[in-house]
Amino acid sequence: MSGVIQGGWEFVIAAYAVSGLVLAGYTASVFLRLRSERLRNGADETQETHS
Amino acid sequence: MHRSTARLTALIAFGAVLLAAGSYWGLARAPSEMFMGDVQRIMYVHVPTAWNAMLVLTFAFVCAVAFLLTNAWKWDNRLEAAMEVGVVLSLLLCVQGAIWAKPTWGVWWDWDPRLTTTAVMVFAFGGILALRAFVEDPGRRAVFSAVACIVAFADVPIVYFSVKWWNSLHQAQSSPETVSKAFHWPLRVNAFGILFLWCGLTGLRTRVAALRLRGELGPPLPEAPPAPRPAAAQEGAR
Repeated sequence: MSGVIQGGWEFVIAAYAVSGLVLAGYTASVFLRLRSERLRNGADETQETHS
Repeated sequence: MHRSTARLTALIAFGAVLLAAGSYWGLARAPSEMFMGDVQRIMYVHVPTAWNAMLVLTFAFVCAVAFLLTNAWKWDNRLEAAMEVGVVLSLLLCVQGAIWAKPTWGVWWDWDPRLTTTAVMVFAFGGILALRAFVEDPGRRAVFSAVACIVAFADVPIVYFSVKWWNSLHQAQSSPETVSKAFHWPLRVNAFGILFLWCGLTGLRTRVAALRLRGELGPPLPEAPPAPRPAAAQEGAR
């Protein structure tokens, strides 16, 4: 027992993979919702008054 | 693409590039820590996520106060966006923390003060977002959200100070003096990467909220036609 945690790369990779997936997934969801709201509103953002 | 949308997209892309560079630095270039070994590399993404989660929720608090003071819809739209981004970052923070906890503490989760107050933060802001969906009247929804956000925000400084106020398994905050210089740059680069990401995402999500509100309230009323002149009105009366 050296007192140092040995290995653990699987946890490191899991943490970065989850972070990448969550951030990419959320970014994609925001763009998709923006597109669908624009289509629904027939949006001309220059006329947007509530932003 | 609208010009401001393009600017926000560029901000998100820049944040993603910084995050990728900082992560590469933390994973491949930075040395491993003397006790935690390679597992400590999770810090380069976990700590910047924590800083930015608290920052975006602080912005949500500012939006809530601004809405109550001004009654302007733009602050309600920003509040909705900031709370949603804050909940996503806080949830991610909990997952990253659990992945780090397993090899270092031997458990995925512990009801330690830092973890418990963070869970309260996630459920409080997540609950406000969920309840917003059930309030149909936009005015009442906005006031309710702003007041609830101000109440929920009380937990954010408690999360920050929890490791100082109580005995905690979670380590206390580090400072540049207590962290090796070799660890500084990946931390800072990732912190700015996530900062740019959430700024861009909050901006775009604000637009989504604004367009939804526009659909609920309807387009602004057209200007009133000019009043008829007295002579014409008299002719009409005959």
